[in-house]
Amino acid sequence: MGIEVKLAFDLLAFISVMVLIVLGLGIIASMMGIFNFAHGEFVLLGAYTVYLFESSGLSAWAGILAAPLVLALIGLVLERLVIRRFYAAPIIAMLGTYAIGLIIRETVRGLLGGHYKSIDEPLPGVFTLFGVDFSAWRTFIVLTTIAIVAGTWLFLSRTSVGLQVRGSLENPNLARACGISTSKLYTLTFAFGAALAGLAGALIVPLYQLSADIGTRFLVQAFLSVMLGGVGTFEGPVLGAAAVGGMAAGLPWIVIPVLADPLVFVIALVIVKLRPQGFITQGRL
Amino acid sequence: MLSATETDVAASRERGAARPPMFRAMLPYVELGALVAALVVPFALAERTDLVTLATNVLILSLLAISFDLCWGLSGIMSFGQALFFGVAGYAIALVGRDLEFSEIWATLPLAMLVGLLLAGLFASFLLLGRKPPTSIFVALGTLTGSYAAERLVSGWQYVGAGNGLSSVKLLKLGSYEFVEGTAFYFLALVVLVAVYLGARFLKSSQLGLVLAGMRQNEERLAFFGYRVQLFKALVFSLAGMVAGLGGALYSYHQGFIGPGNMGPGLSTTAVLYCLLGGSGTLIGPILGTATVEVLSYVLSDVDAIKPIWPVILGIVLLAVVMFQPKGILGLVVSDRERIGSYGRRGQRR
Repeated sequence: MGIEVKLAFDLLAFISVMVLIVLGLGIIASMMGIFNFAHGEFVLLGAYTVYLFESSGLSAWAGILAAPLVLALIGLVLERLVIRRFYAAPIIAMLGTYAIGLIIRETVRGLLGGHYKSIDEPLPGVFTLFGVDFSAWRTFIVLTTIAIVAGTWLFLSRTSVGLQVRGSLENPNLARACGISTSKLYTLTFAFGAALAGLAGALIVPLYQLSADIGTRFLVQAFLSVMLGGVGTFEGPVLGAAAVGGMAAGLPWIVIPVLADPLVFVIALVIVKLRPQGFITQGRL
Repeated sequence: MLSATETDVAASRERGAARPPMFRAMLPYVELGALVAALVVPFALAERTDLVTLATNVLILSLLAISFDLCWGLSGIMSFGQALFFGVAGYAIALVGRDLEFSEIWATLPLAMLVGLLLAGLFASFLLLGRKPPTSIFVALGTLTGSYAAERLVSGWQYVGAGNGLSSVKLLKLGSYEFVEGTAFYFLALVVLVAVYLGARFLKSSQLGLVLAGMRQNEERLAFFGYRVQLFKALVFSLAGMVAGLGGALYSYHQGFIGPGNMGPGLSTTAVLYCLLGGSGTLIGPILGTATVEVLSYVLSDVDAIKPIWPVILGIVLLAVVMFQPKGILGLVVSDRERIGSYGRRGQRR
């Protein structure tokens, strides 16, 4: 009994990480139609912020709080300077964001000097429930993810800014005609997506060692999650992330690990091919 | 009343004067210059074997760049996985050399082409063909995923050397002659590159190329004309895979090594950089781009201050090209009209 619960918990924790990373990517993809190749590097920068805070003697918690703010600022500047040129050409946007990602990644690699840095979990240890040990930090990640998904959903569905976002997604021209500044909304959306990536990076860095490639390992899976769930919806990417995360964490138990990794991609691609509109088509964002 | 210029034109027509050229053709000069440079290089550098090796590398990677240009520049498919076909073909001939002790040029190079062609055909039929036309994003992410998944698979697979790749690949042979690094291999690569270039050039200016040019302009309209657009794309994508496979085989023989990194998204995006920097859609542009990037990175890797930030510089260059000079270096000297190409019989071309 204990082992199954443990397995399910590990699965849940990994799915939470995926959801956290995919949420920001999905919102940007839905709103602007841009697949942000620099998303993995935003995650990296979030992780790096925590490292900077910790190595300068401040608490890691402060770093975790600061990471989304730092990334929101970076996202804001990048959107104003670079990203907005690419809205008309999503393929070129991929190249542009890839270049941005490359610049960030290699700069951080230089700063880290090619070393791996490990960061201690701010909530160390385990707690025991019904005779099974749960890692405190993973539990914190799961709870934070649930809170963020719920918060984002409430923000989009219950606030007036959320209504403007949904309106601009549905029909940008009409939204502009109604006096909504879609350009401002796009900037905010991009900053928000970057902030979510930063938070994700800050939360996962104690689980994985900090290296320049911490974000890229999730990038392709995150893209597939968004495609799988359906661009243009809120629930889609979240569900997609759950599916891909569940497969990535669960398949190594079923087939040999060497095959499991590529198999996730193949399965996800085949599903996207068969159902290009994604899981969710009703109830747009 | 006719205006002054109109009367001039009318008068010149009456005189039967040849129409003034609408634009100055630059590409033939660039092509000729590149060919002359390529022929002179090995003699100029005969003393420096490392530079001949570098030049050979440029020629081989140019095949990859041309392969990407066939996809993006000619048919508008953004492929983030061109290195996949390059790498898999490289592995294929390395394995043939290791397990079958066979590396005759007349059989292994066609084999590599076949591997590239079939693999790309498989990808094309999955990504491009089907009841509903795929979105361009799906194709781009599909190729990226393929390349990434293959890299992960190979780096965990003991039979093909896992993360270490396959080293000491058997030398390429013609009868009893072995091609080692050096001038002979350089000229072999040059012959292959020129043959591929001429083939690609013919493809671009053929009627098929005209269809492709139309597709780039307005895919929907071409579809209404009755062209099966996706079929054309799949065909060109497969041919591009064949070219990449040929490049991968030469790379493997030349370096004596092939590793997981040679089929991953890293090399795939480097090919994108080669092509965009040089000028996509011109075929010669990608070769110039490859030469520029590779030569600079060779020269600068000796400078200690620049070596660690070289990848950052490449990123900045890519961003700058995408933002400010999407036509690449050649876009500075070659007009749009020439980049797109001319079709029809000589003399009737407009």
